[in-house]
Amino acid sequence: MSENNDGHDDGHHVNYRGIYIALLILFLISVAGPEIGERMGLPWLTLVTAFGIAIVKARLVINNFMHLAWEKRIMKWVLATSVILMFLMVAGVSPDVMNHEGNNWENLAAKEAVQRGLAEAAGYSNEEGEAAEEAEVVVAAGFSAATSYGQICATCHGAEGAGDGIAGAGLDPAPANFTDLAFWNDPIRTDNVRERVLTVIRDGGPAIGASALMAPWGALYTDDQLEEMVDFVLSFRPNP
Amino acid sequence: MAHARPIATTRSATGIPTPRLAIWWIVASEVVIFGGLLGVYLMHRIGHPEWAEAASHTQTWLGAINTFVLLTSSFTAVLAHQAAEKGKGKEAAKLLGFTILGAMMFLMIKSYEWYGEIAAGYTITANTFWSFYYTAAGLHALHVIAGAIIMGFIAVDAYRGRELHRVEIIGIYWHFVDVVWIFLFPLLYIAK
Ligand code: HEC
Repeated sequence: MSENNDGHDDGHHVNYRGIYIALLILFLISVAGPEIGERMGLPWLTLVTAFGIAIVKARLVINNFMHLAWEKRIMKWVLATSVILMFLMVAGVSPDVMNHEGNNWENLAAKEAVQRGLAEAAGYSNEEGEAAEEAEVVVAAGFSAATSYGQICATCHGAEGAGDGIAGAGLDPAPANFTDLAFWNDPIRTDNVRERVLTVIRDGGPAIGASALMAPWGALYTDDQLEEMVDFVLSFRPNP
Repeated sequence: MAHARPIATTRSATGIPTPRLAIWWIVASEVVIFGGLLGVYLMHRIGHPEWAEAASHTQTWLGAINTFVLLTSSFTAVLAHQAAEKGKGKEAAKLLGFTILGAMMFLMIKSYEWYGEIAAGYTITANTFWSFYYTAAGLHALHVIAGAIIMGFIAVDAYRGRELHRVEIIGIYWHFVDVVWIFLFPLLYIAK
C-alpha cells in the first residue's frame, strides 16, 4: 500500500467484469436450486443454494465492489461489531420468539395465529364450499378439552381444578375452585350452570358479573370445542 | 489527482478519509437495522408453518429480474468508481446514469409487483407475513430511492469533473443496498 492520502491505491487490479459474471452465475444457480431440489426430492438443496449462495455473493460484493478487502482494519472491526451485536440480539430473543410455550408461559396469540393461518391456508388451496369445512377440520384436529385446560386454565385454576394454579396464587379474587361443592351450590349457579360456564369461558368474567381477571377465551375455540370445555369444567364438580 | 480534496478528507485519525469513514459508519448502522429486521423475519418464518402458504404467493420471477437489475447496477456503480479514480468524470457520470436507470427499473418492477399483490388482497395488514414482506422490501425500496437521488447529484458534479471521490462513497452505499437485496431475495422469493 502506498501512502496515498486517499487511503486507496488506484486500481486494486480487481477484475470487475469477472466478479460480475461470477455473481450472475451464482444468481442463476440460486434460482435453479429449488427447481432441481424439488425434482430430485432434496428440499435442503434450496436452503444451501439460496442462503449459502447469498453469503458467497454478499462476500464478493463487499470485498470487491465495496473494497472492504483493501480497507483499514479498524473498519472491518467496526462492521464486524455491528454484525455480531445484531446476531446477539437475534439470538437473545429467539427462544421467546420461536417457542410458543415454555415452563410457565404460553404464547396464545402465536399459537392462535398458527392455527388460524393453517386453517386459512387449507381453505385457500380448496375451491369454494369445501374450504370452510376443511378449515374446521384443521382447527379441530388434535383438540382435546383436557389438554387445552391443562395448557391454559390450569395455570390459574390448578391441574385438578382446585383453584390452586401457580399464576392464580396472587389473584384477588382467587380463581374459582371447581372441586368445592359450595361453589356449585351457590344459587347463582344452580340453574342454567352450563350457560353461565360457557359464557364466562367465551366472554370472560365481566360477562357474568365476575372479575375481569377471568379473561375471555372465545377466540381459541369453535362452538363445539366450547361445549367440550364446559363439559370438562363441570367434570370437576364433586358428587353431592 | 485531478480533483480538489475537501479539508475534512485530509484529517483522519483512523487513516480512512472522512467521507468514506462516514459511509462505512452508515453501513454499520444499517447492518443492525436490516439485520434485525431479517433476523426477526427468519425467526417467525421458522416458528410459523402457516407463513409457507403466504410466501408461496410471492412472484419469484419478478424478484429474480430485480436481483439481476440490482447486480448489474452495482457493476455499473463500481465501473463508475473506477472511471472516477482515473479522473474520467464524464464517463463516471455516464456510468452513474446507468446505475440510476437500474434503480428506476427496479422500482418500476417493484411497483408492478406490489400493484398485483395489493389488488389480489395481499395487503400489508393481510397477515404477519405480508406485514414483514412490505416492511422489509419497502424499507429497502426507500434506500433505493434515496440512493438514486443522491447519485443524481453526484453524477452532475462528476460530469463537471468535481468531487470525483464522492463516486466511490455513493458506490459503497449502493453496493450495500445490493447486498441487502441479495439476502431479501432468497428470504422472500426462493425459500418457500
Ligand atoms: C389468569 C388466570 C385465569 C385463567 C388462565 C383462567 N381463569 Fe377462570 N377464573 C379466574 C378467576 C380469577 C376467576 C374468578 C372470577 C371471580 O370470582 O370474579 C375465574 C373464574 C372462572 C369460572 C367460574 C365463573 C363463575 O361461575 O363464577 C370458570 C367456569 C372459569 N374461570 C373457567 C376457566 C376456563 C375454562 C379457563 C381456561 C380456558 C380459565 N377459566 C382460565 C382466572 C383465570
